[in-house]
Amino acid sequence: MSWKNSAQRWGGVSQSLHWLVVALILLQGPLGLLMVDMANSPDKIRAYALHKSIGLSILALAALRLGWRLHAGAPLPVAGTPGWQRAAAKVSHWLLYALLFAIPLSGWLFNSAAGFPLQWFGLFNLPPIAAADPGLREAALAIHRSLFWLLAAVALVHAAAAFHHHLFVGDATLARMLPRGWLRAPDSIDEESRNA
Amino acid sequence: MRSVLLFAAALLLATPAAAADWVQAPGSSLVFAGTYQGDTFSGHFPGFQTRLRFDPADLESARLEVDIPLAGVTTGNADYDDEMRGAAFFDVGRYARARYTAEDFRALEDGRYAADGVLELRGASQPVTLTFTWDDTGQPTLTGRATVDRLAFDIGAGMWADTSVIPAEIAISTRVVFRPAP
Repeated sequence: MSWKNSAQRWGGVSQSLHWLVVALILLQGPLGLLMVDMANSPDKIRAYALHKSIGLSILALAALRLGWRLHAGAPLPVAGTPGWQRAAAKVSHWLLYALLFAIPLSGWLFNSAAGFPLQWFGLFNLPPIAAADPGLREAALAIHRSLFWLLAAVALVHAAAAFHHHLFVGDATLARMLPRGWLRAPDSIDEESRNA
Repeated sequence: MRSVLLFAAALLLATPAAAADWVQAPGSSLVFAGTYQGDTFSGHFPGFQTRLRFDPADLESARLEVDIPLAGVTTGNADYDDEMRGAAFFDVGRYARARYTAEDFRALEDGRYAADGVLELRGASQPVTLTFTWDDTGQPTLTGRATVDRLAFDIGAGMWADTSVIPAEIAISTRVVFRPAP
């Protein structure tokens, strides 16, 4: 597997970062939704601490992803994709990048305005990014929640589009974000393999 | 008349304890601090009152009494305060005040003093040593520190006894400025 992105495929770095962030979001979303209703207890404190640690990890990975995307570029759109789908894909990809930053940062802002500590897996602390402020706290929490639901909606469309392309259009949209051979290789990848 | 004044002066000199009786003046503070998720949290006890009999030359007769109302104990963070005042921690509905009393005073080698007293808190009485400096160059000021094991007083017992979340040792620091007792 090539680590760098080619014109046809996402390389190993982009793939690893993509699926790692997917896995973290699948943990983080339900954790966030469940922890808020817990009765005050050490377990609730640990759930919040884990949520903060995962959120900071996603933020760091988002920065890595953006840096790598700008450095390594992206494969060309899959041949035969209609123009409106290319445009929609482009908009939703950059929206997803933006949300990967905005959601953790709004959580950090909420945590700061509430005056809570911020620790990464018990290893080190990060400073507040705002002074304690009840009004800001409320606003940041509302933004944090709204952006999460926006992420859930956009990610759902993103995943649905990938499955649609794979199952019904039969192109390499999904296969090229996975290691070679994991999915039945559609035409374009076969061709690339023969050329390689 | 002159002899009456002399007599009065002699009486005052003959009762040195009176000159060493102090009550708390404005500008005093009683603060607690601990660590939580790698960060320091701190709070204070508003409205505490201190009475002190203290003369460095006569530690035998020294006595310290601190009355600490608990209803207003605050960290400045409403989320912490609600839990801290509740039944699991200070339980201020049942235990409205704490009290620290010390009668055993020692002079330490470094010029500080130690008071081996008793803290009555949340239905328990436990020994607590206050180490302090005494500065009477201007307005007399006591600056002291103590360490309190919160679990000895069941402050956060049960599930909150988990010291990986909140440590057992809570640092107390106080600065009390005094005026002569009326």
